[in-house]
Amino acid sequence: MRVPKIIIGLFGIDQHEVGALAVSSLLRDAGMEIVYAGRYNTPESLLRIAVEEDADIIGISCHSWEYLDYAPELIGLVRSHGLDVAVVLGGSVITATDARLMEAAGAAAIFGPGDPPGAISDSMRRITQARRQSMRGSFQGLD
Amino acid sequence: MTASRSGIPLKDFYAASAGVAARDEIPGAYPYTRGRHRPAQSGQGWIHRELSGEGNARRSNEQIKYLIGIGQMGVDVIGDSPTQSMLDPDHPLVKNAVGTQGVSLCCRQDYLELYAGIPYDKVSISSSVPSVFSMTGLYIALREHGFPHDRARGSVLQAPLYAEDCSYSAGMPYSLLSRLALDGMSFAAKYMPRFHAYVEDTYFFSETGLTGIEEMALGFVEIRHLTRSLIARGVPVDSFAPRIAILVNCSMDLFEEIAKIRATRRLFARMMKEEFGAQDPRSLSVVISAHTSGLTLTAQQPANNIVRGTVQGMALALAGVQAMEISAFDEGFRTPSAEAHMVGIRTQQILELECGVARVEDPLGGSYYVEALTDEMEHAIWRMVGDLEARGDPVALAEQGYFRRLFEQASERHYRSISSGKVKVVGVNCHKVADDEDKLLRDIAERKIAPDRQRIEEVKQFRAARSQAAVGRALRRLHDAVATDQNLIPLVIEATDAGATMGEMAGAMRLACGRTYDPHRQLQPDF
Repeated sequence: MRVPKIIIGLFGIDQHEVGALAVSSLLRDAGMEIVYAGRYNTPESLLRIAVEEDADIIGISCHSWEYLDYAPELIGLVRSHGLDVAVVLGGSVITATDARLMEAAGAAAIFGPGDPPGAISDSMRRITQARRQSMRGSFQGLD
Repeated sequence: MTASRSGIPLKDFYAASAGVAARDEIPGAYPYTRGRHRPAQSGQGWIHRELSGEGNARRSNEQIKYLIGIGQMGVDVIGDSPTQSMLDPDHPLVKNAVGTQGVSLCCRQDYLELYAGIPYDKVSISSSVPSVFSMTGLYIALREHGFPHDRARGSVLQAPLYAEDCSYSAGMPYSLLSRLALDGMSFAAKYMPRFHAYVEDTYFFSETGLTGIEEMALGFVEIRHLTRSLIARGVPVDSFAPRIAILVNCSMDLFEEIAKIRATRRLFARMMKEEFGAQDPRSLSVVISAHTSGLTLTAQQPANNIVRGTVQGMALALAGVQAMEISAFDEGFRTPSAEAHMVGIRTQQILELECGVARVEDPLGGSYYVEALTDEMEHAIWRMVGDLEARGDPVALAEQGYFRRLFEQASERHYRSISSGKVKVVGVNCHKVADDEDKLLRDIAERKIAPDRQRIEEVKQFRAARSQAAVGRALRRLHDAVATDQNLIPLVIEATDAGATMGEMAGAMRLACGRTYDPHRQLQPDF
């Protein structure tokens, strides 16, 4: 089975990379493939990278409130292009109320500062596995 | 055996044999380990202030007046993330970030509104906005508000070697940032002699997770780089050294932080006297201000952050700093709310007025432990300064990404030390409470500031209404001056007066250095 492939980046002008870099290295250590998109991303730029890389997940580290507008935009864009890429958010600024809002908008998972590293990597594997199964399903359907 | 946060091994207890360096030192005398004040000046306390800024300049002006009303003695303004990155609010990339995490500033009128009605004679005006623009903005506001420049007190932060590599990158070359810092210092030495045009900001880069030793070593490397460069320009050391200050971080390691500040004063005095030949006592006794660590604050149980701020504020008061800001309890979520501002100011007032921590200078002087730790910090910081300088020219190191890698490693180390439980953080990796029980002060901490979209429209209108020809001429002059050895500060003032915005001026200077006008390649120059 191929390992999960995850794009990690930040939205807009949010420049606090501490969390993004830390999570990237944590997931790499857990055996996953990370494409680090870094700072200054828009929903369009992340979508482009995800398509080019055939990624399973786009993970956004959120340290400013910009994600409140950008994340639903990205999820909408992924869907309107008919892609099966999960959008995952993480960061201390995401409150419980906003997490529910983002889940309702279609975010696959949301992590806060208190989540143990193991929980993050397990969740990434589960999401990837579900995606791969659904893809296999659709290929079988094509046969 | 246990160790301090920076890894200095600690004994079970300390006895008279330890820490002999300060035995004969007194406060207010060389090498100033025990404080820059002479005993006759002691008991004066420190400048109480809190970081502020949200929305547009008018809203932030109200915030400043509120803070002064509850006892703030100095202003410290931070820009929103576009301002910190030298991008105007109508830049396409920043539309969701205008005014949400600081004040949006980009043109002349903003500075006039930001400081309208502020008593310049009573409060010092500091800011964490990119220094060239905050200093020129203040210069213009002082002129328009009729306050003499030579009486203005305040400061701007400089971190030309590190600013691009942590938090806010502006796409500026390190050499240009260094030159702007030096131009600012030369300009202020002449026209704003009471203004600190160079505060070495070790706070923001140490928030990547550096230890106290690393923080001060990198700070000294930058101080030495700028001091050497200014002396090479022919500026006498005693004309600018008295206006150097250091803005330090303060983590939770109480005694190490106190020792760090004491060691820093001693190292600075020795360096200025023995290495740079400074003679004025004010050149030797560095002003230290401090901001308590936002990195130590948690999103979980925000009320616990009030306790953290108090402990850190206590450390700073015991170390004898000249000004402090206590990071707000809602830091995990946002820039400070009015409620958090009140708590920060009241914490400082309680420390000073009720505990009497500032009654005597250097109350911990002579403690076997604190003196030993001060000596250890001094040696470790200086060893690292030597190691870093042995690697070569610091501007070249910055260009090679050396410092960026240091910051990234520190972030990772910090994160791992918490996730592994090696460093205990109450409410995060021990003594946790369930999310639905974590309610105290959360409603305030979680309140948001919406992006100021009206502000974006106002800036577009301002741009359309001004004389483009005059703006173009001023931007051209600024652009062309970059290739000369002219001081750029007067040209920035001239361009700002002509109606140029921060984004345009930064772009013109980038272009002149062979960089792209807009680091995000979305805007084109119009001059």
